[in-house]
Amino acid sequence: MLNLIQNEWMKLWHQKATWAMLGILVVIIIAFSGLNKYYEERETRDWHTVEKEQIETYTQILAEEDAASNSYIQDEITISEYRLAHDIAPPNGMTVADFMDFGVDLITIVTLFAVIVGASIVSSEFSTGTIKMLLTRPASRAKILTSKLVTTFIYGLFMLAVNFALVWIVAFILFNGNTGTLLEVVNGQVQEVNVWKNLMEVSSLSAGNFIMSVLFAFLIGSVFRSSALAIGLTMFLSFMGGMVVMLLSKYSFAKYIWLAHTDLTQYANGGQHMLTGVTMPFSITVLAVYALIFLVISYWSFMKRDVTA
Amino acid sequence: MAQQPIVQLRNLTKVIRGKKLIDSLNLDLYPGQITGFLGPNGAGKTTTIRMMTGLMHPTEGEVLIEGQSLQGHYEEAISKVGVIVENPEMYKYMSGYKNLLHFARMHRQVSKERIDEVVRQVGLEKRIHEKVSTYSLGMRQRLGLAQALLHRPKFLILDEPTNGLDPAGIREFRTYLRKIAAEEGVSVFVSSHLLSEIELMCDRIAIIQNGQLIDIREMHNEAETVYYVEAEPLAKVQEVAQQLQIEYIVQAKGLELQIPKEQVPQLVNELVAQQVNIFAIQPQQKTLEEQFLEMTGGGQIAESHTK
Repeated sequence: MLNLIQNEWMKLWHQKATWAMLGILVVIIIAFSGLNKYYEERETRDWHTVEKEQIETYTQILAEEDAASNSYIQDEITISEYRLAHDIAPPNGMTVADFMDFGVDLITIVTLFAVIVGASIVSSEFSTGTIKMLLTRPASRAKILTSKLVTTFIYGLFMLAVNFALVWIVAFILFNGNTGTLLEVVNGQVQEVNVWKNLMEVSSLSAGNFIMSVLFAFLIGSVFRSSALAIGLTMFLSFMGGMVVMLLSKYSFAKYIWLAHTDLTQYANGGQHMLTGVTMPFSITVLAVYALIFLVISYWSFMKRDVTA
Repeated sequence: MAQQPIVQLRNLTKVIRGKKLIDSLNLDLYPGQITGFLGPNGAGKTTTIRMMTGLMHPTEGEVLIEGQSLQGHYEEAISKVGVIVENPEMYKYMSGYKNLLHFARMHRQVSKERIDEVVRQVGLEKRIHEKVSTYSLGMRQRLGLAQALLHRPKFLILDEPTNGLDPAGIREFRTYLRKIAAEEGVSVFVSSHLLSEIELMCDRIAIIQNGQLIDIREMHNEAETVYYVEAEPLAKVQEVAQQLQIEYIVQAKGLELQIPKEQVPQLVNELVAQQVNIFAIQPQQKTLEEQFLEMTGGGQIAESHTK
């Protein structure tokens, strides 16, 4: 089995597309960080003065408008007063954590890359005819398909690792000097925002979309043996899936469609699912059931069908 | 034949969408023997070969390799088989060597030394580290042969193996197949549309038509033989032939005589006694092409085999 994965890994990195995707990721990160550094706006005045001005402005607005209804402005005033009282500086310019947030956004791109690999890793063997050479070997079809699936996920994880490592390095080189603390008001109490915890939470919740997209692309790629169809359909569903679920939301079966659950990040920071009454454990159960269905169809089709390529 | 067959096709049948492509095929293949597989296009050659390599699942019947069913014990059974199905498709973006390494990893016990050995055998050592996309068709065929031989298979299945080889390559290839069949007892199964090629290479041929095996025959012991005699004067030869009650056909400079091998010395003695000047006596076999066309109803073998 290890040999088979080693083989898939070797074939993967001998293809230009694999390197191109890595290159694109690196270029995006470097270009984005460069632009941010170049256009960075920094407050040159002392932060105490700025906070005092802000309190005045907000107080005026509150006085003019219907007061108590505007809780956002009220919170802003509370935070600014808290900063002055406890001498806690706000962040000035882009911080490392802000930039890491960009790294989290890039998970979408990495998912797309993993989808491309997953969609073509089986179908390309059929389109080039090499499947005949691959399947007439003492390795069962199940093992071969498993090696391909595992390789796809290893590639995805590798790209995620590259993404976060590079974003982190760039963030430290360019934005490490920008210190400061983000504050938020929770139940009337001012407290420090745990940026890193939020980043971790959103990142791990992105796994839902990552895993389901890859499995779906893998399914279409191995059943229809066409990478274009697999990539196209996966992308279409990830863009349009939300809308489809919206349209169907008045029916009760909508919550049993996996597309309604792929975006687990809606639960981040105590968020709610867009369909009422749907909880995270329910979402994860639905995803797990669909993942299993996708895998069963992929394996069944790959193992049972005749090879006529 | 007293030997145990390496490969046995038992009642092999394939039905696709109600159409019987292969109909109850029974065939035994023996060690050290090269069997040719002939048939008009669409007769079911490729389907049969795909079932023998596990690419297609038989509707009925089974393929046994050293007594083990390919369907039941796939990994063990297939590890004894070397395969080239149609054109050997390689990973073009990798070097020939990486391709071999890739396939070697899929077998147990194929060492780096073995890879080098096979590369030398097929004569690719100078270009093996270049990308396959730069190879000519002939070089790809050689690489295809190399990957099929890596794990020292006991049974070799070749579909159109000489397609794209130059004449020297074809000859070398033929010699090589003969050698591994004779020395290592490998059983070889070759499908080809080049009848003359099969004729030179094979010990035995199996002919398939419309999914049915219509004939299996040994190549070198034809029951009826024809001898061509070139001699002067021809009239006397005809007389002798009539005396000995031999059927003959008159040709420009000689006669074609239908006699068994044992009768040849008697004929020669008689001719010498009659003071006939003999220039040549040679056995003539019907060419495979003639036999093939005769059996399959003629005219159906196409020039190229593509699919």
